Amino acid sequence: MCESCVDRIFSSGPAPCPVAGCHKTLRKAKFRKQTFEDIGVEREVDIRRRVMQILNRREEEFATKRAYDDFLEQREMIIANLVHGTDVAKTETDLQRYAQENLSSIRANQALEAQEATTFQERQTLEQEQARLRREAARQEYENERRELLAGREDVLSRLAAGRAGDAAAIAREGQRVLLKKSSARRSEEERIRQKQAVLRGSELRKGVAAPTTAGITGAPDSGLVKGLKKIEVPVPDKPYDPFGGLVPDKRDYYTLQEHYPSTYLDPIRQDTRMLAGGYDLREYYSRTLLEAFAGLGCFLDEELSESGSLDASKPVATQGAAMAAATSGGNASKA
Amino acid sequence: MIEDEIYRSSSQFRLWSYTESSLRDLRANTNAVASDRVRAALQRARQARQPVNPNGSNAETAIDEKEIECLNPEEELELVRYYCEKTLELGETYKPPLPTNVRATAIQYLRRFYLTNSPMTYHPKSIMACALFLATKTDNYYMSLRQFADGIPGDNTTAEDVIAPEYLIMQGLRFTFDVRHPFRGLEGGIMELQAMAQGLGQPAPHLPQQTPEDLRRALHLIPPNPSASSSSSSSSSLTDRIAHAHHNTRELLKTAAQMTDAYFLYTPSQIWLSALFIADRPLAEFYLFTKIGSPASLPPSTSSSSSSTNPLDALRTKLIHTITSCSALLQAYTSLSTGPEQMKSLKAIAKKLYHCQNPEKVNLAGQKRDSANPSPAASTPAAIAAAGGEGASESEMERIAKKRKLELERKGREANDIFGGELVTERTKERSLQ
Repeated sequence: MCESCVDRIFSSGPAPCPVAGCHKTLRKAKFRKQTFEDIGVEREVDIRRRVMQILNRREEEFATKRAYDDFLEQREMIIANLVHGTDVAKTETDLQRYAQENLSSIRANQALEAQEATTFQERQTLEQEQARLRREAARQEYENERRELLAGREDVLSRLAAGRAGDAAAIAREGQRVLLKKSSARRSEEERIRQKQAVLRGSELRKGVAAPTTAGITGAPDSGLVKGLKKIEVPVPDKPYDPFGGLVPDKRDYYTLQEHYPSTYLDPIRQDTRMLAGGYDLREYYSRTLLEAFAGLGCFLDEELSESGSLDASKPVATQGAAMAAATSGGNASKA
Repeated sequence: MIEDEIYRSSSQFRLWSYTESSLRDLRANTNAVASDRVRAALQRARQARQPVNPNGSNAETAIDEKEIECLNPEEELELVRYYCEKTLELGETYKPPLPTNVRATAIQYLRRFYLTNSPMTYHPKSIMACALFLATKTDNYYMSLRQFADGIPGDNTTAEDVIAPEYLIMQGLRFTFDVRHPFRGLEGGIMELQAMAQGLGQPAPHLPQQTPEDLRRALHLIPPNPSASSSSSSSSSLTDRIAHAHHNTRELLKTAAQMTDAYFLYTPSQIWLSALFIADRPLAEFYLFTKIGSPASLPPSTSSSSSSTNPLDALRTKLIHTITSCSALLQAYTSLSTGPEQMKSLKAIAKKLYHCQNPEKVNLAGQKRDSANPSPAASTPAAIAAAGGEGASESEMERIAKKRKLELERKGREANDIFGGELVTERTKERSLQ
C-alpha cells in the first residue's frame, strides 16, 4: 500500500482492512516502510521476528543440547506454518497461550538480549576507537622515523663535510648503526602492542561468554509448548549451623551431673592451690567418672554382636593378621 | 541412651567385644591353626636334623611324631590366666607397686593377644613382661625400660628381652591400646551414692519426680546386706556401708574381672555394677533403680505414662539379666594359685607346653636381631641354635635330652616360685648349645 493511501485511510484512527474479505482492524502506527522488494520475504521476516520475540528461550535454559535443538526445530516449524498458512489458527492460539503463560520469562530474555546488544555495540565502538588510535600511533611513529632518518642523514653529511677524509668510513658506519638500532626498537615496540591487544581481546571474549550464564535463573517450568527446559532449583535455605549434629551437649540419660559431690578425699583438692593452679577442675573428674560409670550400660553385647555381625567381620582380619605375622616371622627364621 | 552411644564408638566395643560362642570359636580356631603350625615347625626341625645323621632310625622319628601333643584351648586359657595372675604379682614387686590400672591394662593386653595367638607359638612368660611395660606406656605411668627390666625378679632379664615382642604384641592388639576399665566408673557410682546418702542426690533425667530427700530416705531404708556379717552392717552407718561395698567391689574388679572373660563379654559399667551386686546387692539394686526406675514403683506410674516407661522397663529386664549372668561369671572365679589341684594341672600344662613349643618362635630377641641384619653368614648358625640345635651331633642330642629331663624336674620344683625360673633355664640351655 502506498504512503498516501495509508495516510488517507488510517489518519483518523484504526480502520478495517481495505482488502476485500479481510476483516482485520489496522492502525497507522503499525505500517512501515518495505525493506525487501519481494513482499513474500518481507512477510516472512515479519513473522519470524514476531515468533522469535515470543519463543526467545536461550540455550542455557535447556537441560540438554538435544532439547535445545528440538526447540529450534519446533520454532522453525511454527514459523513455516505461519508463513505458508498451514494450521494457522491452532499455531496462533498455541503461540498466544505460550506468550501469556511465560510472560515474565519472555520479558527477562528480551531484556537480556537488549542488554547483550548494547554491550556488543559498546564493545564494537570501543574496538573501533582503539583501532583508530593504533593507526594514529603507527602513523605518528612512521613520521617520526622518517624525520629522524632524514635528520641522521643530514647529520652524517654535515659531519662528513666538516671532518677529515680518513674519518669518512667510520662516520658512515656509525650512521648506519644508529638507524638499525632505532628500527629494531620500533619493531619490538610494535610487537609489544600487538601482544597486549591479543590479551585484551581474549579477556573480552571470555567475559562475553561468561556473562549470559546468569540467565538460567529466569527460566520457567516446562510449559505446554516448549519441552526439556531445565528444572529450576530453588536453593534450599541453609539450616542454622548445629555444631553437635543434633546432640544436645551435656545431655545425659542415666544421671544428672552435679556441681559438687561430697567426698572425703576429693574435697581437699577444692582448696589445694597446688592442684588448682594448673587449671585442674574437679568437675572434669565428676563428669568423667560418672560417664564411665554408665557408658555402655545399655549395650548388650550378645544381642548387638549377633545382630550386626560386626564381630564376624573383624574376626577373620585378626586371624589373618596373626597368620601373616606368623608367616613373615616364620619366613625370616627359615630364610635365616 | 547417649552414654551407650559414646561407648559404642570405643575400640573396645568395636573390636574386642564377643559373645560367648564367638569367643569359644575364635579360641578354638587359634588353637587349631597354632597346633598345625607347631607340628609343621617340629617336622621341619627334624628334617633339618636328618641330613646330619642320615642313618638315624625311623623308629625315633615315629616316637617324635607321637610325642607332639598340643595344648587344647582350655589348657591354653588356663595357662594365660595363670600368667595374668603373675602379671598382677609382677606389678606388686615394683617399688612403689604399679597402679591397678596399669596392671589391669596389661592383663587385658595379654588376654587380647592370646585370643589370636597361641601360647604354643609365643610363650606367655616372654609376652607378659612386655605387655606390662606396654601398659605403663599407654596408661601414662612412665618408667624407663632399664628401670622396668631391673625390677623383674629372676635376676638376668635384660631390657632387650622385655622389649623384643613389643611390635608383635601391638600387632596382636590390632593397634588398639585403649582399654575401658570399670574402676573409674565404680568411683563415680560410689561418689553419687555418697551424695545421695547425704541428701544431695539429683534425680535421674528419666525420673524427674525424685527429690533428694526421697532418695536419702529410700537409701536409709534399704535392707541390710544379707551377704555381709550381720554385726558390722547393723551397727555401722550408711556411709561406712557404702565405703565397705566400695572396697569389696574394687577388690573384685581387680581380680575376678581381670581373670575372667568379663571384658570381652560385658561393658565396663555392667561389670562394675555386677561386682557391686556381689558386694552389696540391696545397695546396687537401689542405685540401679534410681536410674532406670524400680519395678515396685511401676504400678502407679503406668497409669500416667505407660508409653514412656516401657523402654525403661525393657531395659531394666534385660539389664538385670545381663548383670546377673555377669556376676555369676565373676563369682565363679577362684584364684588359680590357691588350690593345689589347680597348681598340679598347671604344672602338667607347662610340661606339655615345653614339648609343643614352636621351636621357630622361641628366641624372640634373637629373631629380632636376625631380621635386623639379615646377612646369611652371620645369621645361619644363630638361627639353627635358636631352632633347638639341629646342627648338633647325636651324642650332643642325647646330652641335651638328659638335660631337658633334669630341667623338667627342676621346673616342677620351681613352679611355686613367682616365675618358675624358666627364662633362666632357657638361657643356660642356649649357652650350652653355643
